[in-house]
Amino acid sequence: MWILEIPPFLPFFIAALLAAVTRGTLRGVIMLALPVASAIHLWTVPEGVHLQMALFDYQLTPYRVDKLSLMFGYVFHIAAFFGIVYSLHVRDTVQQVAALMYAGSGLGAVFSGDLLSLFVFWELLAFTSVFLIWARKSSRSYQAGMRYLIIQVLSGVILLIGALFYAAEHGSLEFGFIGLEGIAGWLIFIAFGIKCAFPFMHNWLTDAYPESTATGTVFLSAFTTKVAVYSLARGYPGTELLVYIGAAMTCFPIFYAVIENDLRRVLAYSLINQVGFMVVGVGIGTALAINGAVSHAFNDVIFKGLLFMTMGAVLHMTGRMNGSDLGVLYKTMPKSTVLCIVGAASISAFPLFSGFVSKSMVMSAALENDYHLIWLMLLFASAGVFHHAGIKIPYFAFFAHDSGLRVSDPPNNMLLAMLIAAVLCIGIGVYPAAMYSLLPYDTGYNPYDATHVLAQTQLLFFSALAFVWLNLRGLYPPELHSTNLDVEWFYRRLFPVAIQSLFAAIWKLDGALRRAVVTRLQKYLDYLSGIYHVPSGLLTSSRPAGSMAMWVAIFLAGYLFLSFVY
Amino acid sequence: MDNEKKHFFDDPNNVKRVLRGFYACCVVLVVLDFVIHRHIYHSWENLWVFYPIFGFIACVVLVEVAKLMRTVLMRPEDYYDEFESDISDRPDANQGHRAKSGGHDVDT
Amino acid sequence: MLTHLPALAVIIPLLSAPLCLFLRRPLLAWLFTVIASGLTMLVSITLLQQVMASGTIVYEMGGWRPPWGIEYRVDRLNAYLLLIVTSISTVVLLAANTSIEKEIPRHRLTLFYVLYLLSLAGLLGVVTTGDAFNVFVFLEISSLAAYSLIALGEDRRALWAAYQYLIMGTIGATFILIGIGLLYQMTGTLNMDDLSRRLPEVSQTRTVFAAFAFIIVGVCLKVALFPLHRWLPNAYAYAPSIVTAFLAATSTKVAVYLLIRFTFSIFGISFSFTTVPLQTIFVILGLTGIFAASTTAIFQKNVKHLFAYSSVAQIGYMIVGYSISTTMGLMATLLHLFNHALMKGALFLALGAVMYRIGSVRLEQFQGLGRQMPFTMAAIVAGGLSLIGVPLTVGFVSKWYLVLAALENGWWPVAVLILLGSLLAIVYVWRIVETAYFNEPPAGRESIEEAPLGFLVPVWMLVSANIYFGMDTRLSVQVAEAASQALFGVSP
Repeated sequence: MWILEIPPFLPFFIAALLAAVTRGTLRGVIMLALPVASAIHLWTVPEGVHLQMALFDYQLTPYRVDKLSLMFGYVFHIAAFFGIVYSLHVRDTVQQVAALMYAGSGLGAVFSGDLLSLFVFWELLAFTSVFLIWARKSSRSYQAGMRYLIIQVLSGVILLIGALFYAAEHGSLEFGFIGLEGIAGWLIFIAFGIKCAFPFMHNWLTDAYPESTATGTVFLSAFTTKVAVYSLARGYPGTELLVYIGAAMTCFPIFYAVIENDLRRVLAYSLINQVGFMVVGVGIGTALAINGAVSHAFNDVIFKGLLFMTMGAVLHMTGRMNGSDLGVLYKTMPKSTVLCIVGAASISAFPLFSGFVSKSMVMSAALENDYHLIWLMLLFASAGVFHHAGIKIPYFAFFAHDSGLRVSDPPNNMLLAMLIAAVLCIGIGVYPAAMYSLLPYDTGYNPYDATHVLAQTQLLFFSALAFVWLNLRGLYPPELHSTNLDVEWFYRRLFPVAIQSLFAAIWKLDGALRRAVVTRLQKYLDYLSGIYHVPSGLLTSSRPAGSMAMWVAIFLAGYLFLSFVY
Repeated sequence: MDNEKKHFFDDPNNVKRVLRGFYACCVVLVVLDFVIHRHIYHSWENLWVFYPIFGFIACVVLVEVAKLMRTVLMRPEDYYDEFESDISDRPDANQGHRAKSGGHDVDT
Repeated sequence: MLTHLPALAVIIPLLSAPLCLFLRRPLLAWLFTVIASGLTMLVSITLLQQVMASGTIVYEMGGWRPPWGIEYRVDRLNAYLLLIVTSISTVVLLAANTSIEKEIPRHRLTLFYVLYLLSLAGLLGVVTTGDAFNVFVFLEISSLAAYSLIALGEDRRALWAAYQYLIMGTIGATFILIGIGLLYQMTGTLNMDDLSRRLPEVSQTRTVFAAFAFIIVGVCLKVALFPLHRWLPNAYAYAPSIVTAFLAATSTKVAVYLLIRFTFSIFGISFSFTTVPLQTIFVILGLTGIFAASTTAIFQKNVKHLFAYSSVAQIGYMIVGYSISTTMGLMATLLHLFNHALMKGALFLALGAVMYRIGSVRLEQFQGLGRQMPFTMAAIVAGGLSLIGVPLTVGFVSKWYLVLAALENGWWPVAVLILLGSLLAIVYVWRIVETAYFNEPPAGRESIEEAPLGFLVPVWMLVSANIYFGMDTRLSVQVAEAASQALFGVSP
């Protein structure tokens, strides 16, 4: 049964290699066959540890399968599949290879049974995904990618330091429950937090994702943050701090989303908002809450992927992404419009769409565990997410004011990919039992009781009513070309400016000092050469050896001094 | 553009019809609140039509606050560019090279 | 024959050197040198096996009993070092024939091999001998040969760099000699084993303190410990590529060996680490070295300079491990000796290939090399990753143990600083990657081809060793652990 030992990242890496050397149809076939074959294989793999090896004194487990990791494994395969279908027309080899490597790294990360393997895939995620951002080939995307890479690598380094401390504290590298204890616990928590886009660490996401290519963002939205959610669910379930962090994550991005013009940046903010729900679920930590978090991650990959795909289609066909430049595309892109509305309904958690069956679990768990204020925040965020992602995205892209753009629906492969995702969204929404059976815990939860359905529908319809009312009264903020300040201001503006002025001051001081010293020295040398006729050339050119000899003398003297007085 | 096919929302009456349908749905939902017995988990849910009111107010607050944020946070679109362009002429120069050399399609 | 192995390790290259002078044809001289170096490698492998199996081997030169005669003493540490030096030397030599034909005038080619063998013999002598004065003699042999080797570089600045190195090296050697002289005065013996037994009686005298100070400073100069490193960058940068690869991978390693030998074996741990706050001084110097040298490396325009400064930084890591002075710390240092030899050997040899094709290793010349010399550049990237300490490379193994050793001692700020230092390595390696892969070749250099196999084979041997020993750490970790335990007097 050797075939069981093939960890899922391996076929993806091999396919990436093949994709690098093949072209055209052959490459398409390889890339399509791969996630299907790998998914079928994964379906047959039983739970347990399938690959172990020893490195130094530690047991490494690069391939461990349990229900939690399987859930993410499945959805990553789904995401990889529709992502590949969506990007079949792309001929840029770098992008195709990077996307496969990236998907493989994500799979590697969720099946890692120890912190070191996790770290390896953690960094691979960063290094492979950045090429999807750079693939846009603009100077903006280059810089955004660089910032993204630095932050992601930093997260990896912190994870590694945390793992080292963990090894020193526990004598083991096994990746199980970690908890906020000791330096190790906190370091790893911060590392996860950066990738998970915790407030104040979230800006890499809204900075980089909208700068990627139309197809690249689809992949990006699926893996990185979900790996982080998985890691939190594995290492920190029931950590109360996460409840508050998650609640903050659900609320603050929606304000930004309302005033943001770039529609993919709106989606990026709403991505943080959705991840917030998952983080709350992980923080509550009961069986129901974890189920909610995991299933919401599962659904989010699909509906967020669908939304990014529809926006990618718009970008691909029009070359524009700002709400202010788009509008009335429904006339010529009817299919994309419908698919976008399906995605919007899913993310807004309309009954019968996928978001509903998972988000309600987290909300119920919050109430059951007496997090009343948190529940209100989540409720507010639910209304808000409908407002910006559910209405704003389709409205400004496909309806609203006439932009004069008349482009057709995107190529068939793009439409097909969106259709797959849309069918999944509705399928899961209508028949959630299939997904529930895969969840880590069996809670017997039923989302479709009258209470939930009515409450959620009321909430959403009256949010929509507010939108209509504000729009008719002309109170709704218009889409404007603008940049909205966020945390990134600190490292994109304040920090560079501060550094620049600091260095300017230092150079000035340094220059003045140097001049003073040099003039003194010159006078002294003139005096000396006046006396001894020493050619000054010799003095200056022997400086390296001279200064080294001086250091040696200082060393020796210091040493002797210390050894005599010590 | 005049000879373009008439689309659904080009007719203001259609827009009105859709909106009327929407208002009707809202009314029905409020009425349903009295008909269907909800399980109560939280005391606020006892309030009369709690969810509709909450949804409506939440969104109005959201938009108003966001508008306020604009006054503080909004900057020109090229806010960062002007600063970042002078520290990074090089990647720009590279771009030209790369785009030329790649010979691949850029899909955007 | 087997009993003479310790002597053979030195004698083979030492005798081959004059013989080589008679071989007029460079190709013959090259083959001869490779064979000589290969033989010593076989000898050191056998020695290592013997030592690991049956403990220290003592060999009396010419049958004279110590302390009158010169004693060769091979324990685990020596055998480990012997293996490092000879194996790197042999692999590097494989590329020599191709490399130096473009960098050294034809009439000096034979001379190059003679000097190379002498330098090798000197290094091996330093490692094997059990006699303190003998150390000085061999150190001078290897250094003098190294000065001349560096001066062979085609760049005129090579002369200047060699001269600087000569001055500094001589000061270092003299200091060591003074220290040894003082020791002889106090104990009446030059045999290391004897010294270590007689020193405790007189250890609280100022003469011994002075001897210790002279020796430490002298050795630190040879180690190129920051801030005594300034001879190193130029010497590495302007020497012929093969010489750089050989010296970078071996000579500072041997100096670190001397530091360990003098402090741990001869003066003894309690003396070395208690009379002076050696620990604190070395940790501070090591860490400053890591940061100062890595930062300098970032701003270098010559890639050889860049890696030379990175060598200084890596020496900082070794010194930090050394100064933690626990078995774990010392083990990390020993591991890094081995691992750093592998990565720098690979890197400088790959730079040699670039030099061979382009005639320059300035950073701007690397533009477009990613596509033009894919295998060479891949080797540089792999070596760079190892330098950073990416998992599955050797660099990771040594950093891992180093950090663990620091944590074990409760020095977690040191651990954090070590890891931050690696971030700097990312920056300077990235600069090369960015230039090579994200740029078009400059005008007039479109027709550069991949380096010849003569280069690729040895380079990739070293690169695969980098990866192999990053995954299968049994050999290096076992030997390093055994050696460091022996130095701490723990019986394994």
